[in-house]
Amino acid sequence: MTKKGGAALELSRSRLLAAYRPVPGAPDELIGVDGTIRPVWADFIEHLSALGEEELAVRRARADQHLRDAGVFFRQYGAQDTAERDWPLSHMPVLIDEAEWAGIEAGLVERANLLEAVVADLYGENRLVADGHLPAALVASNPEWLRPLVGVTPRSGHFLHFVAFDIGRGPQGQWWVLGDRTQAPSGAGFALENRIATSRVYSDLYARARVHRLAGFFRSFRDALQGQRAGRRGQVGILTPGPLNDTYFEHAFIARYLGFTLLEGEDLTVSEGRLMVRTVAGLKPVSVLWRRLDATWADPLELAEGSRIGTAGLVAAVRAGGVTMVNALGSGILETRAFLAFMPRLSEVLTGKPLGMPNIATWWCGEDSVRDYVKANAERLAVGAALSTRMPFEYDDVHVVAGEFRSGEKGSFDAWLDAEGPHLIAQEAVTCSTTPAFAGDRLEPRPMSLRVFLARTPDGWHAMPGGFARIGGSSDSAMLSMQRGGSVADVWVISDRPVAAESMLQTGPSSLQRMEHGVLPSRAADNLYWLGRYVERTEHMMRLLRAYNVRLAEADLADSPLLGVLEEQLRGFGVDPEEGIPQAVLDALGAAVGSSGRVRDRLSIDGWMALSDLDKTLRRFALTVKPGNDAARAMNVLLRKMAGFSGLVQENMYRFTGWRFLNLGKSLERALAMTSVLASCADPQAPEGSFDLAIEAGDSVMTHRRRYPVAANRATVVDLLALDPLNPRSIIYQLDAMDEHISFLPGNEPHQPMSDLRRAMMKTRTEVAVHTPETLDTDALYELWGHIAGLSDELSATYLR
Amino acid sequence: MLYDVALKISYTYEAQADAGRHLLRLVPMDIPGEQRLIAGALDVLPKPAEWLNRTDFFGNPVVEIAFDAPHGDLIFKVVARVERLATVAAFDVSPRPADLAREIDAYRGLDPRAPHHFTAPSARAPGNIEIADYARQATAEAGTARAAVEALGLALHRDMRYDPEATTVETSAAEAFAYRHGVCQDFSHVMITGLRAIGIPAGYVSGFLRTIPPKGKPRLEGADAMHAWVMAWCGFETGWLEYDPTNAMWVGTDHIVIARGRDYYDVAPVKGIMRTSGAQTSEQSVDVKPLG
Repeated sequence: MTKKGGAALELSRSRLLAAYRPVPGAPDELIGVDGTIRPVWADFIEHLSALGEEELAVRRARADQHLRDAGVFFRQYGAQDTAERDWPLSHMPVLIDEAEWAGIEAGLVERANLLEAVVADLYGENRLVADGHLPAALVASNPEWLRPLVGVTPRSGHFLHFVAFDIGRGPQGQWWVLGDRTQAPSGAGFALENRIATSRVYSDLYARARVHRLAGFFRSFRDALQGQRAGRRGQVGILTPGPLNDTYFEHAFIARYLGFTLLEGEDLTVSEGRLMVRTVAGLKPVSVLWRRLDATWADPLELAEGSRIGTAGLVAAVRAGGVTMVNALGSGILETRAFLAFMPRLSEVLTGKPLGMPNIATWWCGEDSVRDYVKANAERLAVGAALSTRMPFEYDDVHVVAGEFRSGEKGSFDAWLDAEGPHLIAQEAVTCSTTPAFAGDRLEPRPMSLRVFLARTPDGWHAMPGGFARIGGSSDSAMLSMQRGGSVADVWVISDRPVAAESMLQTGPSSLQRMEHGVLPSRAADNLYWLGRYVERTEHMMRLLRAYNVRLAEADLADSPLLGVLEEQLRGFGVDPEEGIPQAVLDALGAAVGSSGRVRDRLSIDGWMALSDLDKTLRRFALTVKPGNDAARAMNVLLRKMAGFSGLVQENMYRFTGWRFLNLGKSLERALAMTSVLASCADPQAPEGSFDLAIEAGDSVMTHRRRYPVAANRATVVDLLALDPLNPRSIIYQLDAMDEHISFLPGNEPHQPMSDLRRAMMKTRTEVAVHTPETLDTDALYELWGHIAGLSDELSATYLR
Repeated sequence: MLYDVALKISYTYEAQADAGRHLLRLVPMDIPGEQRLIAGALDVLPKPAEWLNRTDFFGNPVVEIAFDAPHGDLIFKVVARVERLATVAAFDVSPRPADLAREIDAYRGLDPRAPHHFTAPSARAPGNIEIADYARQATAEAGTARAAVEALGLALHRDMRYDPEATTVETSAAEAFAYRHGVCQDFSHVMITGLRAIGIPAGYVSGFLRTIPPKGKPRLEGADAMHAWVMAWCGFETGWLEYDPTNAMWVGTDHIVIARGRDYYDVAPVKGIMRTSGAQTSEQSVDVKPLG
């Protein structure tokens, strides 16, 4: 970048802001009431102007590339289907002055303490209802008031540990709370990604811009969670609903970032009042669970009947004081929209003070006087479901705006309000401040709300300094929701002093400290094992298909009996070779992608990308590829991509227990496939050319040529592909590899009694080792196939249940 | 009225049942002034690894058991001696149905018997327009809340056919009502849905019926298995009343209470989550012998 002169800079700035017209009636973050740029933005705008359009475009692309490379996505629910979407980053951060931020933090800390007092009462004495400060119906009819938790005091002494608030700036410039998020607020992990991506766009400025860093917040929360473990034992887990959740990426990301185990409901079980995770090394205690799962789904025995993503007995473990939940089950009741109507009063009652930061004006329509007010002021109010926990700008359950029904005719507004009153609330229509966002290479004002995260630490609540703002997709405040085309921006809290660089790492003299290896949950091991099996199965199918299609393309071979042998092998996998890219191959790779999606926190991003890329290519080929030469060429491309994935697994994946399971799956599948190939191609009845075919399917053409001075015969083929311990395609090589992996699994430590699995493994391995090419005939191969398949059952019974 | 109760429920599994956790509400309650549990014992076979006695939100005794290893068939046995005291007041002092809302609003507090828990649709008794319309018509003439309860109960008994084969424990109230058939669970869920629709807080009671009728009276439906009926809040003065729509009668000394809640889900006799692959079948036998 070259430094521009003052006049050029001025020109560039006026181009940038040419279309920037603040919306009348709404304050603007960039432009003050006097029409000039607010001081906190001055440096930033100057920097932006100096960058120039081209440089800026390059940098924005770099940020997007980072997000794609990091695999940041969220799941968008559509009318018909759901899909993974790229993270909609707005490349303009929102800048907030440190002093103003301190005010925001103070107001929200007060509110967090107030919410804690309210929820403690709702699950404790219930004085607020008994004394008439809260209507009984709003609690008793509330699906988030979980009766099995009433009377249960959290082990930690607190219900709330991690909360978020959506706040917006109102017309007079003051901040309003739009909604309280206490169930399982998402976004903190995305905030980190916002920061990384945004700081890449403005890398030189960010380094000197005195922006408060985010890592310190996460470090203190991580330490706080670890401090919550009873007797400092047991692990901290993050409970996710699973890969189909809209923010699963974040769950996996946070788990990796904080070094906690990512768990699903079926990983957990309860024993003697303690929460345990099923691992490949047996049951291990979980002492703190940061749940990203809505409470009603957490326990099918006591909460939502029929939940398939919960853990039976979780409530019992909480009741027994066996686990600290972050946040306590039942805290979600605080998100109830109607509660906003009562917060001013509850603040007076519980703290003796008015709210430090007001919330959006809200009225519960269960009382006659309130309904009269709402009828009289309908034109400036939105009326919606009282027990909704959605945000005011998520309009799904808002029925009436400014006196007009949003859908369907429900008769007169007044009559409807009288009939449905207790189920309804009215809220002042939201107007938020605007902040700059890019429209092409110019800036435009867009409505904005902040999401502010607070974490409880031993010395009180800490706010994450910035990181997350929602930006509207148009100038309409109702369009803030991400699900409706809005975007998300980083928030920079700007200090007037230099800020300390923060990172997650402990600093100090003895800073080299390895994190202890987390134990591998059985479900994760199962998915890695099947990922290995499906990837290998896909590869094997592709090799067979390549061999088939090459021969098909050579006219004189088209009706050779060899094709029959190949077809029989392929049909054994459910593959119809008359399709160019058979459906069964798509299914097998799809299963591999599915398994990998469930262990995304344990795979490298490159590995995940390589597999997704392979899957995309395969699906694209499936549309056009014809049997014959075309398919053979396609298989070449696919096999090379497959080798890319396998290479990443071998070269880059840490040798943790999960890697062993992935490779056990690969080895077992490969041993099975080779046994099956030999049983049919090395059979004395097999047609001519079968030996060469077996060698080709085993990718051992060159090796055979070098190792044996004769043409392929049964003895050389069986020797090379079954009995040669140096050939990575041979059966015995795979069995040796499996034996080594198993020796590293729990229960196989030296000087231990031999496990059933190890015993079966050694028997099978020895069975092959003592064969000669003569004795390993077709019958013996079929028998061996059964024994190898039996190893899979034994492995599952030992580790994967 | 004094009774000896004997209950046996057995589950047979096709494959071995894996470790699991169950909540049991099987032993009659002790309710001051209504019902005395003189003696009661619950036996579970095979012996569970964990056993915990506690009380749920609605005040029902619950036994929570867990198995830590795979097991075969599961058997629950209850023997109890119960004295039943309750009678229905002779005079109807309940308010007009339309005035009940005001009394509910005036009730502050969320104790287990508070009407507030029983006004909103619940998991097994969600709102239903057809049932709501039916309830409004059936109770149009009723001058009081108590009269409305009886009118709806009588109407359902008249219009719905008792048929133990027609529905299962999973059948929804809406479906049972659409076909106008079912067992005590269906009658009760339909009636609860109807009562809530007309503004009367209503809940679900599980229990037993005497097996042998008094001399000269017909045998009651549902006496050979666990039974269920409805409770309805009819204002401050009257409080909770219980009505058995399956037999079109106010609950009296022929009924023995096990548990009370918003619907079947709150009081299910055996609620269990286990990892098992095969199918399961269950059998139930009940004997409620009056001792005089």
